[in-house]
Amino acid sequence: MTEYETVIGLETHIQLNTETKIFCACKADSWEDPPNTNICPVCAGLPGVLPVLNEAVVRKGALLAAAMHSEFRLKSFFDRKNYFYPDLPKGYQISQYDMALGNGGYLDLPMPDGSIRHVGITKLHMEEDAGKTKYENGRRYVDFNRCGVPLVEMVTEPDLRSADEAAQYLIRLRQLLRWLGISEADMEKGHLRCDANVSIRPVGSTVLNTKTEIKNVNSIEAVRTAIIKEVERQVELVESGGRVEAWTLDWDDTHHRLTKMRSKETEADYRYFREPDLLPLELDEAWREGVLADLPELPLERRARFLQDYDLPEYDADILTADRPISDYFEAAVAAYAGDPKVVSNWIMNEILRMLNEQGISADQLLLKPDQLAAVIRMVDSGTINNATGKALLSKVQQTGKSPLEIVDAEGLAQLSDDAALQSVIDQVLAAHPDEVMSFRSGKEGLFGWFMGQVMRETRGKADPQLTKQLLLDALSKRD
Amino acid sequence: MSALDYAAHTIAQKVNAGELSAVEVLEDALARIEQVEGRHGALDYGELTDEDRKKVHAFITLTQDRAYAQARQVDALVSAGKLAGPLAGVPLSIKDIFCVKDTPSTAASRILSNFVAPYTATAVERLESAGALTLGKVNLDEFTHGSSTESSAFQPSTRNPWDPDRVPGGSSGGSAASVAAGEVMLSLGTDTAGSIRQPAAFCGVVGLKPTYGRVSRYGLIAFGSSLDCPGSVARDVRDAALMLGVMAGADPRDSTASLHPVPDYLAILSEGVKGLRIGLSPDYMQIAFPDPQTGALIRQELPAEIRNATLRAAEALADQGAEIVEGVPMPNMVYGIPAYFVVSRVEAASNLHRFDGVKYGYRTSSEFRDLHEMYRKTRAEGFGLQPKLRILMGMYVSAAQYSEQYYQRALRVRSMIRADFESAFDSGGAYRLDALLTPTTPTTAFKIADIYGDSVLMQYADQLTVPANHAGIPGISIPAGLDGDGLPIGIQLLAPDFGEEMLLRVGYAFEQATADAAWRKQKPQVLR
Amino acid sequence: MTDEIFPELFERLVDLAAFAFDPAEAEYLRQELNNQLKAIHQLEAVPLADDVPLASHGVGYPPQSRPELRKDLWVPFENPDEILAQAPQVEDRYLVVPDIPHTKLD
Repeated sequence: MTEYETVIGLETHIQLNTETKIFCACKADSWEDPPNTNICPVCAGLPGVLPVLNEAVVRKGALLAAAMHSEFRLKSFFDRKNYFYPDLPKGYQISQYDMALGNGGYLDLPMPDGSIRHVGITKLHMEEDAGKTKYENGRRYVDFNRCGVPLVEMVTEPDLRSADEAAQYLIRLRQLLRWLGISEADMEKGHLRCDANVSIRPVGSTVLNTKTEIKNVNSIEAVRTAIIKEVERQVELVESGGRVEAWTLDWDDTHHRLTKMRSKETEADYRYFREPDLLPLELDEAWREGVLADLPELPLERRARFLQDYDLPEYDADILTADRPISDYFEAAVAAYAGDPKVVSNWIMNEILRMLNEQGISADQLLLKPDQLAAVIRMVDSGTINNATGKALLSKVQQTGKSPLEIVDAEGLAQLSDDAALQSVIDQVLAAHPDEVMSFRSGKEGLFGWFMGQVMRETRGKADPQLTKQLLLDALSKRD
Repeated sequence: MSALDYAAHTIAQKVNAGELSAVEVLEDALARIEQVEGRHGALDYGELTDEDRKKVHAFITLTQDRAYAQARQVDALVSAGKLAGPLAGVPLSIKDIFCVKDTPSTAASRILSNFVAPYTATAVERLESAGALTLGKVNLDEFTHGSSTESSAFQPSTRNPWDPDRVPGGSSGGSAASVAAGEVMLSLGTDTAGSIRQPAAFCGVVGLKPTYGRVSRYGLIAFGSSLDCPGSVARDVRDAALMLGVMAGADPRDSTASLHPVPDYLAILSEGVKGLRIGLSPDYMQIAFPDPQTGALIRQELPAEIRNATLRAAEALADQGAEIVEGVPMPNMVYGIPAYFVVSRVEAASNLHRFDGVKYGYRTSSEFRDLHEMYRKTRAEGFGLQPKLRILMGMYVSAAQYSEQYYQRALRVRSMIRADFESAFDSGGAYRLDALLTPTTPTTAFKIADIYGDSVLMQYADQLTVPANHAGIPGISIPAGLDGDGLPIGIQLLAPDFGEEMLLRVGYAFEQATADAAWRKQKPQVLR
Repeated sequence: MTDEIFPELFERLVDLAAFAFDPAEAEYLRQELNNQLKAIHQLEAVPLADDVPLASHGVGYPPQSRPELRKDLWVPFENPDEILAQAPQVEDRYLVVPDIPHTKLD
């Protein structure tokens, strides 16, 4: 039986988070707005209108190109892509064809098994979005609110070799886009759209066979599932002597199946030509240097650095570089803590992430600052407070904005580590519960936890757990 | 005496000085329109009457209310001791290819016959802010596709005020005719292959095509986006200069509007032509038409009267101290029309994609099963013959498999046409011209229905004007006499990029030198 | 000599351009296009050196004449409803068009 290799290329459309559209001053984001309210003569394609390029689109596009190791052209051109569709008011889309902003590029994708998949980029260009249509009762309803929203189209080489890799690519891309601050990259909201080109070939072959195109996948999971199903279909087809045809497939997310869309008998001829209403985009070296200077340390680079410099496990490094705010927070906390970074990592992964989740905020919005976290950890390290108190203290700092030390003093949270004081509490507890003491001594060892709880309650949580355990054990093991 | 017999600059002066009220001027304009206009162009025009055949029919829509409101505002400002603008009270017509808010903006096409623009073109905004009175939208070839105004869906199409059996030229026929007939003093036209200059020549008025990018195209319903230029149609050179000064300059709504500073065009007007080098080119002193069978170019002599008018103009300028430089080669100008057939059509086909019955304008009222059928019927019914030709040709020459052979080649020929001008104007070159003098058109105004139907012959009416559009340089047509049939002859001056000052200066000198010429005393037939 | 735009090719162009013609109009248009093409073929006579560039615009734009890129600031259009008012068919603020013929084969 032949072993088949999957060959996947992904075409993504990324909605940039600029304030305005690419060629007019309407808002870029109108997700919640009633239909046809966020329009103007330009984006509605009225007769006589002209496009005017948004400089923030160029800057963000260039940043992405730099982050994808793409060479960005100092002179690039816009072109018209001509076709009829009701959501395309001008009857052409202003895009970039052969002399786009970005030239080449790649993303090195770390896979869970430790390997790296080098994914080449063939296209990186700016273009305008079309509007939206919905189908109802045999008619189409068209909304132009989204016309002219700035997009970057990025197309990979057919370098991905599995549905998982495709999913990984999208995960990393989403992370990168948010990291750079150029897109919210939320697939469910259409900020990041993906079409997958899929073909198969016998393992060892280097030929590129006919591919099918999967459209309308609205989540990373859907991309993965759809690709798996399509590969299954292609393998079955080929194994039974059939031939894969260049179909366009529509993913139905409700029924989890692919249906063939109208096949194009002839390749659409878009009659690309240079957009005469725009001058060639000319950027100078100084501008290019400016963009490169703005390029932050990228998530995968930082991840690698965390693994190396902080000696963190991959699991931790992934979580701590999931987004820029948490990653910056971690580094600041490590610097303030001046101890084992793994300790800080644990506190963040356990306590801080939960806090962020509960409050629906990001790490840069916390009142609890990194240096304050470090201070709390140090207090626990030195035994000033116990672990449980430490965790509660974090919440208190976040709620009140007061410093940890202030709160500890004000509420008298310092740990009870005085031998004599603890011993006296323990004696009190044992004296108050003679039956339980008898049960414990007759073999019910599970009651130990209950006794610990009683001591904690008496000391309002301040008992030093290690010391308490030791003293309590001694006390309970004594035979009168 | 009608106020309409004054030049625009005189009217503005008098109105600002309180000697004349804008409302008075407006009423004179309306009276003149009443006298010469006949019925306006309309979609359902029925039969042409004998009366129709004697009238001008420059307008599609008269915007009387708008003009009255403007006139009252001008008068109010003047009464309050304020200046009402450099065009205060000047009657103005707008080629109906410009969007003007709350007016029907039709492009002389059925497909936009019911379109009321929600915004105003920049050029119009500026003219209106300068105090001009917008009398209305004037007729043109449909989507500016033509050289005679005959292709308009709004009939009767405009007739030449000098001989109403003849065309006024096109595509800005309504503009040129409305100025020539004294219905307005100024008209805003557009020039893509000669569409201001050619009708100006046919109608005996001044037509100025500025440098590409000199005047904003925002609001101009596009034909050839890299060729279209809004420009002035006026009675004399000073008026054309005045109008240009108001409209010209950068516009944040047009990415192709140059930031090149706008000079005071009136300041240099009377500087004269002493020492200026004005060229004559043998390539512009003959005409060419393609053989209908083979397409090979057959060269012919210019009609004698046009040739002589041009040479006499050279003499007049020489008398004023200009140096006439003969024999300037412009070998690539003869490819102007073939290149134009390609470049303009590619842009037009794309620009007209948006007319599909979805968001504005005409939608077919016949039955349709689906979207594609709606598109087809709407476009087939909404567009006239000329847009259809341009769209189809545009599709062909930009198709993937033909694009290199046609479109890309044409764009390179365009560079060659431009290079001819660069050599001629090069201050370190062999000719070092300040301006080039040529005839504007290969013939004077032809008879209505004579040429329409032969799309090649019609396009070749622009052979002397189109090279300037390819090159982007400015050009002006000024009246230089009348032919044996009493029809106006125009001469053309061409200058380097942003050389409008030069054109106006030389044109003004010629005007002054011929101020007393007998032909200047003749009036168009409709005004006799 | 066969026409460059023969009838089948003409039909394809008509299709691309979203038109529909009756036979008489189609034939007239096809003839005119072929006539125009004869004129267009004159372009082949122009000797073009390899380095002759494509001119998308005739006039040049030196840096000081080039308009700046637009600043990313929201300026809402004062009356979107006027735009909507121009549409042939509107329902609940949506533009209404017939459905697109879509053959979904499985």
